[in-house]
Amino acid sequence: MVPLKQGKWRAGRILLLMVMLLVTGLAGFGCVTGLRPVGWSGGAVSDGTLLVGSKEGRLVSVNLADESRQWSESLKAASQAGGLFGCAPAMAGGGCDACGAGASGVAIYGTPAMSGDLVYIGGYNGKIYAYTSSSLAVRWIHPREGNLEPIVGGLVVAQGRVYFGGSDGKVYALDAATGDKLWEFETGDKIWSTPAVSGDTLLIGSFDKKLYALNMADGSKIWEFMTEGAIISTPLVHNGTVYIGSFDRYMYAVSAVDGSLRWQFMGENWFWANPVVYDSTIYAACLDDRVYALQADTGDKVAEFELGSPVSSSPVVVNSSIILASRKGVIYAIDTGRNELRQLADIEEEIYGPLCASEGVVYIHTPDLTLHRINATTGAVLRPISLESKD
Amino acid sequence: MNPWELIIQQPVINVLIVLSHYLADNFGLAIIALTIIVNLLMLGLTLKQIRSTKAMQELQPRLAEIQKKYAKDRQKLGQEQMKLYKESGVKPAGCAITMVVQMPVWIALYQSIMLTLAVAPEGLLNLSKYLYSWPVVYSVLPLSRDFLWFNMAQPDFILAILVGGTMWLQQKMSMTMPTDPKQQSQSQMMLWMMPLMFAFLALSFPSGLSLFWVTSSVVRIFMQYRVTGWGGLTQGASQEVDKDKKYVKFVAQAEEKSLDDVGADIDMTSDEPGRDQGLSYPEKPSKMRYQPGKDRSQRRRKK
Repeated sequence: MVPLKQGKWRAGRILLLMVMLLVTGLAGFGCVTGLRPVGWSGGAVSDGTLLVGSKEGRLVSVNLADESRQWSESLKAASQAGGLFGCAPAMAGGGCDACGAGASGVAIYGTPAMSGDLVYIGGYNGKIYAYTSSSLAVRWIHPREGNLEPIVGGLVVAQGRVYFGGSDGKVYALDAATGDKLWEFETGDKIWSTPAVSGDTLLIGSFDKKLYALNMADGSKIWEFMTEGAIISTPLVHNGTVYIGSFDRYMYAVSAVDGSLRWQFMGENWFWANPVVYDSTIYAACLDDRVYALQADTGDKVAEFELGSPVSSSPVVVNSSIILASRKGVIYAIDTGRNELRQLADIEEEIYGPLCASEGVVYIHTPDLTLHRINATTGAVLRPISLESKD
Repeated sequence: MNPWELIIQQPVINVLIVLSHYLADNFGLAIIALTIIVNLLMLGLTLKQIRSTKAMQELQPRLAEIQKKYAKDRQKLGQEQMKLYKESGVKPAGCAITMVVQMPVWIALYQSIMLTLAVAPEGLLNLSKYLYSWPVVYSVLPLSRDFLWFNMAQPDFILAILVGGTMWLQQKMSMTMPTDPKQQSQSQMMLWMMPLMFAFLALSFPSGLSLFWVTSSVVRIFMQYRVTGWGGLTQGASQEVDKDKKYVKFVAQAEEKSLDDVGADIDMTSDEPGRDQGLSYPEKPSKMRYQPGKDRSQRRRKK
């Protein structure tokens, strides 16, 4: 009966090989995370209404008093991409359910900006939209024809203009009422940073490792500051100094007047989230799982807080506390008086987008289409609000 | 990070980034360089696989003969097949085992390229956790995605054609067409299906991955050429000339040792006496490879 044994042995070996192939294949060709643009828009609150871009590619308006919601039309993708397995990056936004992204619309990364009766938002499809705040009806779209490169950073509205940077490396100024382009300024690489305003100066970082100070009137360059890494965070302007984090692991403080370096502080990974200031202390969250408290005028480290997970979502200041969220979904409060860290809550969802606060409540938008609410003082977790549209 | 990420992905990602830095901040060149390096590191395994495949293909006419002969006796068929494998020193699972060993390496390379490309903002954010604390790693990122005429974060049609073309060429070189029409059509299907599938995938994935596939195929073509020459590429023509004679000649060769008194070019059937008992095979199949128009004349000259 040797042949029978040989046959069994061969069958067993083939089965083993097939199982090994299957297991290795599943483990290996299982989706690599981060291939699909999903979006991490933060919320903006005005007059009791919170506006946020959902991963369905819609602007959502939430009445904070009665929790009623209103949705805009879905943003239109510039082109269909993603292919058979949805693992190619969408050229301009459209996500699909592949790779666990679960998105079905244009990704929205920037936080909506409000001014007057209009609310503005940029999409990964390379378009800027202006909606009326009350009805979320589209007032204008820029550009009217075609698309810019994907827009990842947020917008800032000042002096009747909308300012933003795009993945084409350009800074744009649009007329806030009509969406007409007023000027553009070209940098050396992509821009994913949200601009900041200081007087008549627009400050914005670029992947070309430079921080630019531009004249808001005509887009001419006032000064530039070179770092050793790409800049993605939003500059913080405080008492004539601009604070900016870079991919070279440094937090820089430069003069807002001429861009000269005042001090620099080194972390152990990228500074992705925007820094915040309280009194004379800068709180800089880093992807090395820590938050650094630095003297605003000297850069001396006052304290550091270990969170056990990177912080990519920008913190907010509520009363005298710095509220921040780790990637793993744990919400912390730093008591600025005593420089003590305490855990407020754990929502057990990954957090990428910036936090937003209003009347003592912190709002956190998570990729599962949910708006979480935490009491910033007690840490009580309030009932979450779904951002999923009814369509 | 899980052990796979820590031991495999993280080092490969950092090596890719450092290679990019030293290759003029060019991620495309880094992909090509790393693919070649990994291929060189696995040279032994790859050559073993190529040789094993070659040996298996050389046995195909003889396996076909056995299958034909023992079509009705499965047990005997298995026995004879095992005997043939044993006598000719070929391990049927050898190719598959080598492929299984290589597979995690290719998967690691594929994953690392995709992670380092950081095609979406989430990908770039995710990349930060893999970085070593080498200053060069931080100053280079994010990597430029432009290479030659294409954006490595987007699918590219020309590169997809190159993926399919080089894969077809490599498969064609390594493939010997069986003489059995049924097997021939299966082989033809395989020859076209894999390249077409990968070309189709290339249209769905970032072209940085396609660049890796093309480079891998080109390296494999080079290795295949060094071991087997143009192989299957030149087979088609010679097969057309002599395809009807192939089995007749092979049987004569196979019978030579045990039935050397019997006439040479006689195709024996299973009804013939002594056939089942006396079948034996030469030990080195590579020397027995069928060469149309040569085998018989050489043997007769020896006699």
